[in-house]
Amino acid sequence: MKHILKQLPDFVDQIKEIQEIIISNIVLIGQTPAPTYHEEARTEIFLERLSDAQTDYCATDDYNIPISIIKGTSDGTRPPIFVVAHLDTLWHADTDHNYTVKKNSISGPGILDNSLSVGVLASLPIIFKHLDLKFESDIVIAGVPQSIGKGNLQGIRHLLDTWDGPIRGGVIVEGETLGRLNYYSEGIIRGEITCNVTATGEWEHRYKPNAIIILNKVIDEILAMELPQRPRARVIIGKITGGFKHGVIAYDARLGFEIQSDSEDMARRMHSEIKDIVDGIRHENHVSLELDIISNLTPATLRYKHPLVKSTVSIMKALSLQPASDSGESELSIFLARKIPAVTLGITEGKNVHLENASMKIKPMFTGIAQIIGVIMAIDSGVCDES
Amino acid sequence: MNHNWLKTNTFHHSEFKDIKKLVEAKTRKQLKISLCLPTLNEEKTIAKEIIIMKSELMTRYPLIDEIVVVDSGSTDHTLDIAKSYGADVYEAKNILPHLENFTGKGENLWKALHITRGDIIIYLDADIKNIHHRFAYALLGPLLMFDHIKYTKAFYDRPIATDRKKIRSTGGGRVTELIIRPLFSLFFPDLTQIIQPLSGEYAGYRSLLENISFPIGYGVETSMILDIYEKWGLDIIAQVDLDRRVHRNQDTKALGRMAFVILKTFFNRIEGLGKINLNTELFHEMIQYKLTGGEYEPDIYKITGDERPPIISIPEYCKKLNRQP
Repeated sequence: MKHILKQLPDFVDQIKEIQEIIISNIVLIGQTPAPTYHEEARTEIFLERLSDAQTDYCATDDYNIPISIIKGTSDGTRPPIFVVAHLDTLWHADTDHNYTVKKNSISGPGILDNSLSVGVLASLPIIFKHLDLKFESDIVIAGVPQSIGKGNLQGIRHLLDTWDGPIRGGVIVEGETLGRLNYYSEGIIRGEITCNVTATGEWEHRYKPNAIIILNKVIDEILAMELPQRPRARVIIGKITGGFKHGVIAYDARLGFEIQSDSEDMARRMHSEIKDIVDGIRHENHVSLELDIISNLTPATLRYKHPLVKSTVSIMKALSLQPASDSGESELSIFLARKIPAVTLGITEGKNVHLENASMKIKPMFTGIAQIIGVIMAIDSGVCDES
Repeated sequence: MNHNWLKTNTFHHSEFKDIKKLVEAKTRKQLKISLCLPTLNEEKTIAKEIIIMKSELMTRYPLIDEIVVVDSGSTDHTLDIAKSYGADVYEAKNILPHLENFTGKGENLWKALHITRGDIIIYLDADIKNIHHRFAYALLGPLLMFDHIKYTKAFYDRPIATDRKKIRSTGGGRVTELIIRPLFSLFFPDLTQIIQPLSGEYAGYRSLLENISFPIGYGVETSMILDIYEKWGLDIIAQVDLDRRVHRNQDTKALGRMAFVILKTFFNRIEGLGKINLNTELFHEMIQYKLTGGEYEPDIYKITGDERPPIISIPEYCKKLNRQP
């Protein structure tokens, strides 16, 4: 590891030397809209950029996942290392995706989640060449579609389920925040509760139940649930929509929530309890009230003493970064659930991550990229092989 | 009218996407290419234009030899940002400083001829929100691949960024449709085949550009087309479809002032060509009205319509670039 750590500070300056290429990739990819389930245009430009960089293999798989491979020196005797970022963003294609670049910032919708990462992935082959780096393992660079929200990580699930052969390790790249180190993921059950009240005649509906108030009852009962200190567990009420206009009783309303726990059993018990709440309120109020589960992830973890985690911490410290660990959902859970050592890393600092005027800082990005390269080098040197 | 031109001299950017071929043609012809971005307070878009052009057409493919920003006196961070991303940045007033000082886009384009080295110069407006390197390589395509073409002009859909959220898919080109196209139809029907004569993106051989005069303001696009057409004919001109260009919207009054300058340039040109006899001097003031406190007040813009002569007539230019007047 020592020789890797020694090189890292110099990498930062060397990566900066080709900043135009990296920023161009971020901008050209980020300005191509990619709402979940409609990532085709971004897939095309992502592959085009990788193919321009003359990687050894560049194509989409049968699920339209863009994959590029840089062949390693071991001629296939070492399993490949995966570097992935999700392609999709929260933003509809109608949104103005034209980014603004200034002296130390790039701003625009989706820049931090996750256009920056996709642009950096597209730049990796050129960065490797510029740093004169070669790896034993094949480096598999993949942009995964259908990740966020109802996408439910389908892209990464498909990629890993259909990959033929073992995988040496994975690096999941997210736009923010530099210093982030995710190596464990909580169990998550993501659900939606929908209430519909039939709209009929004007006089009758005045005395009908109100869908928003019904969901309010559901929220009250969820908040009254007794949650243990251990295993850790919580329910996030994340989204609510409903109603038509100020003076009309709401016919429909929808509540999005997420159960998070480091115990799969606890997550299941909480789900069961919420289901009972929904059944009870439906029965008492004679309304249509449905609970749908849109995503279900089991908790998975690498231990802190796992060589990949320890090496990543050393790499971050060599770059004067203070690692901040928290549970990471996203693609990490899918890697870990399949017993593939992996970490999620952030590239830079920024603000307004999920707003239209999201903004990232350019300068810290070079450190973020050096850190990703350090972790790839560490995996290539065998830190995941020891586990 | 020669309708054939529209078919033979109109291209789509995708015909030139093999940039390697363009680089080969450039090398074979031993040409140097300069990109000029005229600016006035373009801090929101200038960095992106420089970065993408430098990355794609200098670092990845050596198609462009230099990127030059010529500024009319920006008061925002345009110059600072442009320098930080490695463009050669000039203030127009400091180029050929002994000449009378004018301010305007045409002035920047004319002075760019003095400080660039290229045999071909590409001019791109600096306010393009959806900049892509096709804006440059597609304009170069016909110039490099067809020996008879010496000047290229862009056309595109012109969506306008109406607010921060939405892009309107129609509109734009109002001055073209209301002023230029009727005038071309009346006096130069051949030129109506140029879809967007006012587009701010064009490229040409230095040997042409140094031999035409440049109005200092908005009239430069109109005069350039008229002068090239009159001197060398329509066949040396090509137009390239760049698909889509998003730019900031201009209000009707600003377009009115633009139309004033263009009309003035146009009338001067056609009178010079003997096509009309005005028998009077045109006024230099565009008079618009604004409602202030319930009363209309005139808003007067003085637009003199100055022009720079062909730069080949400037001794310093000939000496610096070793050109024969």
